[in-house]
Amino acid sequence: MFKLYSSLRKELLLLINDKVGLALMFLMPLLLVFIITIIQDSAYKMVNENQIPLLVVNHDKGKEGGKLVDLLTKSGLFKIDSQNAIQQESLKSELLSRGKMIALYIPATFSAGLESNAEDVSGILMDDLGLERDTTARRKVSMPRLSFYNDPVLQENYSYSVMSVIQSYMSVIENSLMIERMYANMDIAERSGKLKDKMISNRVGIDQIVARNNNSTAIPNSTQHNVPAWTIFAMFFMVVSLGSNIVKERVNGSFLRLKTMPTTFMVVMFSKMAIYVVVAALQVALTFSMGIWILPKLGLPKLSVPDNIIATIAVIFISSMAAVSYALMIGAFAKTEQQANGFGAISIIIFGAIGGILVPTFVMPGFMQFFSNFSPLHWCLEGFYVLFLKGGSWQELRMVFAFLGIFIVFCQLGTYFKLRLERII
Amino acid sequence: MAGQACIQIRGVFKRYKTAQEDSLADVSLDIMQSDVFGLLGPNGAGKTTLISILCGIIPVSSGDVQFFHNGRPYSEHERKSRIGFVPQEYAFYQELTPRQNLDYFGAMYNLPKKRLQERREHLLQVLGLQKAADQKVGTFSGGMKRRVNLAIGIIHEPEILFLDEPTVGVDVQSRNAIIRYLQQVNQAGTSIIYTSHHMSEAEEFCKNIALIDHGRVIAAGGLQHLKAVHEVENLQTLFINLTGEEYRD
Repeated sequence: MFKLYSSLRKELLLLINDKVGLALMFLMPLLLVFIITIIQDSAYKMVNENQIPLLVVNHDKGKEGGKLVDLLTKSGLFKIDSQNAIQQESLKSELLSRGKMIALYIPATFSAGLESNAEDVSGILMDDLGLERDTTARRKVSMPRLSFYNDPVLQENYSYSVMSVIQSYMSVIENSLMIERMYANMDIAERSGKLKDKMISNRVGIDQIVARNNNSTAIPNSTQHNVPAWTIFAMFFMVVSLGSNIVKERVNGSFLRLKTMPTTFMVVMFSKMAIYVVVAALQVALTFSMGIWILPKLGLPKLSVPDNIIATIAVIFISSMAAVSYALMIGAFAKTEQQANGFGAISIIIFGAIGGILVPTFVMPGFMQFFSNFSPLHWCLEGFYVLFLKGGSWQELRMVFAFLGIFIVFCQLGTYFKLRLERII
Repeated sequence: MAGQACIQIRGVFKRYKTAQEDSLADVSLDIMQSDVFGLLGPNGAGKTTLISILCGIIPVSSGDVQFFHNGRPYSEHERKSRIGFVPQEYAFYQELTPRQNLDYFGAMYNLPKKRLQERREHLLQVLGLQKAADQKVGTFSGGMKRRVNLAIGIIHEPEILFLDEPTVGVDVQSRNAIIRYLQQVNQAGTSIIYTSHHMSEAEEFCKNIALIDHGRVIAAGGLQHLKAVHEVENLQTLFINLTGEEYRD
C-alpha cells in the first residue's frame, strides 16, 4: 500500500507542477463553456423564441402586400424591419450592409396579380356551375413572384424553412381572395366571411412531441449542449498533460529504471489512470457547477441535473477512462513531447469536430454523421445527451458503454504492446 | 565476502532485432563480491548493452548470467531487490525535488517508510544536497543532478551497484565527491560495476577491469596485472594500445 500511495503521490505532484496542463484542463473548459454558451444562446433563442429578423420591402400598389406583412408580423415568427424606400436593385447590398440575414421583396403588381388570378379561378368555377357572372373584360395581370434574399452564409435548409413559412401565409391570402371573388360574382360578397374563417382557421394542426423517457419538459438549450460538450473536450485535452508526462518518463529513462526495481509497472499505470480519472471528475464538477450556479446569473439557461445519478456517475467514469486511455496511448507512441502535444491536441480537435462538440452531428452531411461514430468524443457526448435531454435509461446507454468500452480496450492494448515492444513492461 | 563471484557471465551474445552484427559476442566474465569492476571500451563497444543485460532491462540472445550472494544464487525477485542501477541519463523527475524523487524511488524499492526517511536524509547530507533538498531538480547544475541520480540508485543499500558513466559532464568537485562516496559504499561491502570514458578516474577507482571492443572482451583481469603484462604505465595507454586510435562514432 505504501508503494501505491507513493506512486499516487508522485503523480499528483507531477500534475500540480504542470501549470500549463492544469490551465488547459481546468480553465479552458470554463472559458469555452462561458464564451460558446453566450454565443450559441442567441442562435438557440433565434430558433426557439421565433424571432427571425426579416427585412421587408413592400412596393405593392394594392392592399394584399400589406396583408402579407401583417400576417408575418402577427405570426410572431419574425422580427419585421419594413424599409419600403429601398429599391429592388439595391436590396442585395442593403441586406449585407444592414447586417440582416434575410429579406423579402413584394413587387408593385403583387395585389393586381393575385386578384387577376382569383378572378380567373372564380370565373372557371362559375362557368362549371352554369352560373351567370360579370363577363366585362378585365386587364390580365400575370401571377406575381416574391423575391427572397438571403446571406450566403445562411444554411440552405434554414432558408427553405423561412420560405415555407412565407409560402403558407401566401396560401391564406390567395384562398381568401378566391373566396371573396367567388362570393362577389354571386353577388353575396358580404357572406364570404364565414367560409373564409372556416377554411383558414380550421386547418390540420401538428402536435410536436419531444421524445424522452421521463416526463421532463426541459427543452434542449445552449447550456445543455455546451456544458457536457466542452467538458468532454477538456477531458480529452488531458492528452497534453498526461501524454507528455509519459513521453518524458519513457525518454529520460525513469521507466527503464523502474524496470530494474522490485515493482510492477501496473502500479505506475494504475496511479496515472487513478489521478487523471479524478482530474476528469473534477472537471465535470467544475463545469457543471458553472452551468448550475453561474450561467443563470448571466441570463443564460440553467443546467438541469439529470435524474439518474448512478447513470450520470457511470457516464462520467467511462468518459474519463476513454480520455485517460487515449492519452496513455498517445504518450506511449509519441517519440517526443512535441509530438504528443501537437498530435494529441490536433487529434482531439478533429475528434471534437466530427464528434459533434463544435457543431451537432444532426446538421452534418450523411457521410460525416457516419464518421462521427469513430470519434470517442461523439459517444461521450451521446452519453450526456441521453442523460440530459432524453432522461437516460440504462437501455439507451448500452450503445454508449459498448462503443466507449471497445475504444478503451483498444487504447489500453495499444499502450501495452507499444511499451512491451520498447521492453518497458 | 571477497573472493567469491557475485556475477557470472557465460557465453553471452546479444544482437538487436534490426542489427546486422552482434552487440555482444561470447562475453564471459566473473565479477567478484566487493569488487569495483570497470567495464571500459570505446563508444559503441557494448558496455551499456552489457549493463542493461545485467540489470534485467534487455534479455540476452544466448548465454547465461547468474547472480550470487555468498555463493548462493539469487532469484529474479531477489536480484531486483539487491541491485542498484544508476543510468547515464538523468532518470528521475526534474519537476520534483530530490526529497520527493528519493521518496518515490525508495518506495518502489520496498523500503519501509521510516527506513526510507533515514536513508533519504543521510544521502542528501553526504552528497551535499541538503540545502537544495526542497528545490526542483530541474533547476540544478549537472553535478547536482548526477548526485541525485546516484542517490536514487543507492537509497536501498544495494549489494551490487551498476553505474553507467556516473560522472559524465560534471565538474572536478562533483566528480571527486561522487567517487569518494562510491569508495565508501564499496568499503561497506557493495560490489560496483562501472563504465566510464575517464581513464584516470577508472584507474584510480577500479580494482579489476574488462576492456570491451566490438562486443568482445579483449582483456580482463586485475588492473595492475594487465598493465604489467602489456608493459604500459597507465590505463589510457593500455586502452589505446588495445583498441587503436581511429574514431569509433
